[in-house]
Amino acid sequence: MTAMTFTLVANPPERLDLSLLTPEKLAGMSRRDIEKIQLGTSKRALTVADIFRVSGDDLQNIVFDGGSDRFDRVAAQLTGGSVRVAGDVGAQAGRNMRGGNLLVEGSAGPHAGSGMRGGRLEIMSDAGDRLGGPLAGELAGMNGGMLIVRGRAGAFAGDRMRRGLIAVLGGSGDHAGSRMIAGSLVIAGGTGAMPGYLMRRGSIFLDRAPENLSPSFVECGAPESAFAALFDRYLVAEGILGLPLLGKAPRKYSGDNAVLGMGEVLFPRSRGS
Amino acid sequence: MLTKIAGGEIIDPVNGRLGKGDLWIRDEQIVEPPAGGDADRTIDASGCIVMAGAIDIHSHIGGGNVNTARLLLPEQHAAHMARPAATPLSNAGWSTFETGCLYAKMGFTTVVEPAMSPGAALHTHLELADIPIIDKATLAILGNDDFLLSMIRDDSSQQTIEDYVAWTVGSTRALGVKVINAGAAAAFKENVRTFALDDVVPSYGVSSRKIVKTLQAAVDRLGIPHPLHVHCNNLGAPGAADTAAATIAASEGVPLHLAHLQFYGYGTEGKRKFSSAAARLAELVNSTPQVTIDIGQVMFGQTVTISSDVMRQFSARGSASPKKTVIHDGDGNGGGIVPYRYRQDFYGTMQWAIGLELFLLIDDPWRVFFTTDHPNGAPFTAYPVLFELLMSRDARNEMASGGSNGAMALSTLSSIAREYTLEEIAIMTRAAPAKLLGLDDRGHMGSGALADIAIYRKSKDIAKMFGAAAFVFKNGDLVVKDGEITRYRWGRALRLNPQPDKAMVRRLREYHERRYGLSLDWFTFPDSAIAREQPFGEVACRS
Repeated sequence: MTAMTFTLVANPPERLDLSLLTPEKLAGMSRRDIEKIQLGTSKRALTVADIFRVSGDDLQNIVFDGGSDRFDRVAAQLTGGSVRVAGDVGAQAGRNMRGGNLLVEGSAGPHAGSGMRGGRLEIMSDAGDRLGGPLAGELAGMNGGMLIVRGRAGAFAGDRMRRGLIAVLGGSGDHAGSRMIAGSLVIAGGTGAMPGYLMRRGSIFLDRAPENLSPSFVECGAPESAFAALFDRYLVAEGILGLPLLGKAPRKYSGDNAVLGMGEVLFPRSRGS
Repeated sequence: MLTKIAGGEIIDPVNGRLGKGDLWIRDEQIVEPPAGGDADRTIDASGCIVMAGAIDIHSHIGGGNVNTARLLLPEQHAAHMARPAATPLSNAGWSTFETGCLYAKMGFTTVVEPAMSPGAALHTHLELADIPIIDKATLAILGNDDFLLSMIRDDSSQQTIEDYVAWTVGSTRALGVKVINAGAAAAFKENVRTFALDDVVPSYGVSSRKIVKTLQAAVDRLGIPHPLHVHCNNLGAPGAADTAAATIAASEGVPLHLAHLQFYGYGTEGKRKFSSAAARLAELVNSTPQVTIDIGQVMFGQTVTISSDVMRQFSARGSASPKKTVIHDGDGNGGGIVPYRYRQDFYGTMQWAIGLELFLLIDDPWRVFFTTDHPNGAPFTAYPVLFELLMSRDARNEMASGGSNGAMALSTLSSIAREYTLEEIAIMTRAAPAKLLGLDDRGHMGSGALADIAIYRKSKDIAKMFGAAAFVFKNGDLVVKDGEITRYRWGRALRLNPQPDKAMVRRLREYHERRYGLSLDWFTFPDSAIAREQPFGEVACRS
């Protein structure tokens, strides 16, 4: 069996909703049926066949050959199997994922991994704003699973995160980990203004001292921590980082005391200012 | 244009017309069958029932609090329709557009927004003017405002108070007056957190009872057709039945309407101190002919409670689901938005059963009104299912079987055999509301009545029948066919127009300049502010 492959033949003239092209939703469909699925979001009513050439037969293994920043909601509600995009994706990639693997070889738009509860989402290049964050009105953002961005993330990465792990390796914009409820957020490569802004609980791990933490965080010294070593080993074992991030006794700030104040920001003693 | 609705089963209790027959419409009105006249258009209503358009007397469809609820719950828009079929904005869930369309599809042609804060009258009318197809009306809220409470404290004359009520109704373009937890919102500003009928508002020395009685008398003497619309104290509290009973007793022979009585039907028996007092309240209503009530039926599922009872909403914050609220302690009443999910647990089942008990134990369909207090007990989209529950004991038993046995054991619901007839439904949702609101031109299908007509294809599936009307006429326009909108039009907001007393206007002008440093003109608006050809329809006061 070869992977179910959607080869991009024409640049999409409008935003597409690709949430229907997941292993679970395609199960049992013939190629003819698949080609008739509507992807367009306007009155043009674009179908799969208008945009893609379809080949392959392994529905557990879906490949988009070619991407676009108009590919919205790729692998939304994914529960199992794998989806790979050889290119960029638009907004809400992996939205509400519960399992399986999504690999984006290019960049992702805003709200990548929004509300995901399980599975693994990896973005090889950059991600937009509100990585893993909730849509308007929702009370929690990422709720489980693993989200890795090899490039840079925009503002509000991990907004209202509640569980799971986010790792951003190329630095982030302002307010990373804003309003975090719980969970773990790793950012290597520097952060913008006020990481952990209004975080209630949860942990933010940095590779250097934060430059402009909110004044409502309190410095807590650098106690020796068995957890830091354990977490370092986990990141290396998962292939997220090549070298340990925190070391034996990382420095620690706790906050944000403007709200509950039970969150922590950890970073290694040796590097940074 | 002359239209003939042929061969339908006509249900028009007001004119004593029950049974197969034809109905004729000329332009906007129902007419006698013309002698030898040929219809320009004939609607085949065989196999259908033909009723007047339904009237909803208590549904929160517009105004500041409704809009705040939309802002608090933006996720509801996405949940309504994930991928809009046509253009995205026109189909956004819970919009004014959708409100008009969904009501019309069910055969409702007039809906009353029962809680318009006088300060938000312009906003409310602008929003109502954006609801297509149906006619609308509003009730103006009084009873927690400084101007009225000060007048009562200072023993102002009955005449002065009537002048103020008349000015408020006229300038806000209302069809009646509502009082919400009289005095409690004013007391709330002084950190009072529970308030009953004989409690006194601090700084004013005026009891809740006094406020209700003062407004009831003013409404009655002004000839406002709809009696004072009372949202009692202690809404939702176990033991609230005592408050409702005291308020019914306080009506003292003068008409009074009690809103959403279900939310007061709670006793304090049983190990959870929460029981049904529906039988007791129903008996009181049955024996007090000047009192009318609407139910505020609870249905299971997600909704949001929207109320200008700021004290009640403040105390309900902890039960919000999802956990977010807006409490607004404003001028006059303020208000609160608390999302809530009615579960099929003990409390939810009890509330559901109490509403149905009230529906079924109050004998006179002319005095009990069909509401869910949209969206407080359930969104109005639950109406078709509610009709089925009223008309079918089996449907009630089936829904009860999914709920809490403990609650059902403490309720008389399962022993009630009554099933509403179509005639009773026509009275409760058509004839009686028209009478209660003073709308002589609708609620019946006699000659000269407005051609607001709902035609339902008869079916064993009652919810399906009432959920999608076969045909709906509004002012003689065919607006719905087979449950789909066929024509969009703009309805009017029905209002009273009592002439303002010049001395009262002068006094209000001084008050607003002294209190707010603003001209009274900031608080009123001309008809031209509503950009519709005929935004208002005038209803006469009783003389």
